[in-house]
Formats: sequence, C-alpha cells, structure tokens
Amino acid sequence: MEVFDAIKSRRSIRKYKADSVPEELIEKILEAGRWAPSGSNIQPWEFIVIKDQKILDMIRKVSPGFFGGAPLTILVCSDRERAQKLGGPLGRSYLAIADCAMAVQNMLLAAYALGLGGCPIKSFSQVALKEILEIPNNLEPELLVTIGYPDQKPSPLPKRPLSEITHLNKYGVEWEKLK
Amino acid sequence: MESKQKTSGGEYLFEIATFLATSARGCIDEPRLYGPFRLIDALSRLLDLPKYASCLSEDPFFDQIKKEIDEKKVLIMSDVEGFKDFLDHLVQEFARELKRRSLEF
Repeated sequence: MEVFDAIKSRRSIRKYKADSVPEELIEKILEAGRWAPSGSNIQPWEFIVIKDQKILDMIRKVSPGFFGGAPLTILVCSDRERAQKLGGPLGRSYLAIADCAMAVQNMLLAAYALGLGGCPIKSFSQVALKEILEIPNNLEPELLVTIGYPDQKPSPLPKRPLSEITHLNKYGVEWEKLK
Repeated sequence: MESKQKTSGGEYLFEIATFLATSARGCIDEPRLYGPFRLIDALSRLLDLPKYASCLSEDPFFDQIKKEIDEKKVLIMSDVEGFKDFLDHLVQEFARELKRRSLEF
C-alpha cells in the first residue's frame, strides 16, 4: 500500500471482529512505532501490549472513549524522567508527548497497511490505568491504541481545506495554487 | 468484542458506575461536548441493565431508544448540529412516552 493512500484512507475503527491479531503483525506495528521521529532522539516511549481479555475488559471499563472492544490494545506511555534527563524541560513537557503521538500515527498506518484497523484513545482514566497495569510513576499513559480486524467501514470525516489552513511565506497570505 | 464471561446485574451496575466515575473526571479536561456525549452513552449502557438484572423486565421503548442512541451518538464527531437535533428528538420521544405512560397507568 502506498503511504499517501494509507494516510488518506485510514479511518478510526470503533467496532472490531473477534479474531485475534497474529503476533508477527503486532511486532511489525511496534516496529513502526519504534521508528517514529523523536526530538533529540530521546525516544521517550514505552509500549504496553495488552492481549489478555480480562485486562482488556478492565481497561475498557475505565476508559469512556473505548468503543467496540478490540482483541488488542497498545498503551503508549512517555517516560517523563528520561525526557527530562535527555531533553530538559522542553523534552519533559512537550517532546515526550509529541514523540508518542508520532509513534502512534506510525502504528496506526502500519496496522492499516497490514489489513487491520485502529483507533487512538485519550479518554481514559490515567489513575485507573496506572493502578490496573502497575505503571511506575515516571511513566505517563499518553494514548491507548485499539487494534483489530475492522467490523465497520466509517465514512471520512470532513477535513478543513488546504486553502484554509495553508499560508504562503507569511501568515495570512493565500497560496493561489490552492484556491 | 466484550468479555465472554456471564455478567451479573451487580457486575454490570459496577461497570456503569465505573464508567460514570471515570467520565466525571474526564469531563473536567475534555472538550465541552464530551459531557452530553458521555451522558447519552451512559444512558445507552444503562438501558442494557435489564439484560443482566433479572428483577427488571425488558422494555420495548428502552430497546428502541438504545438502538437510536447507538446509531446516532457518533454524530458528535462530524455533525454537532445533527447531534443536537438527535438529542431534541430523543427528549421528544421521552415526552411522548411519558404522556402515554401517564395516561395509561
């Protein structure tokens, strides 16, 4: 699958089939996350792969934004201590989050290219996830990524046109080409 | 895909309670519109309670409302006005049902 096609046709999936995701595909998805860009190459991410249905069920219950169930979920955490140590205050407050977001996008595109669907979720209880998954204090749960075989084909959501969000050379100057 | 284990009424109530508590905390930081979304999602979950609690009987009105919510709640992602219209429609359905039940019983 071409990258541009994947970017434009990927959708957030909120309904999955029960089929489990083969481990070799999980590894590819994790690899895609690992190869994401990282400010100062801090690589603040830690990935918790959750396949155990009992644990998945607990996570679902403390995550109001978790829909449709999923046979697999990856929790992307940032190591804020590592980010502080290697990137200073900017690393801790900004790069840690931005890097994790880029890793998640890589994972979502990889999953899609492998015939899977996924959905990034921020609506969860950090406190509850830390308790359930026994996450140490230096790690912050940033995004849950549900993954599985899609059982729906969502329509694309409206996107702001390029002409509205793009400026040429200076803010406020329209790019004629995009009109 | 939910857990395959048989869920009791008490366990299901606990699940709803957990959803409400985590939603309450989340709504402080989340976008304003997530509040009504969580409420309507909670209603949908609540309407499943008769499936798990034998002391409650199934109710065709609730079944219909739940079906409508599950179909339309995602409007919030793409069509806020449509979501508002749906909530108005839902309230109207409840008002009609309220009248019907008040006159019948």
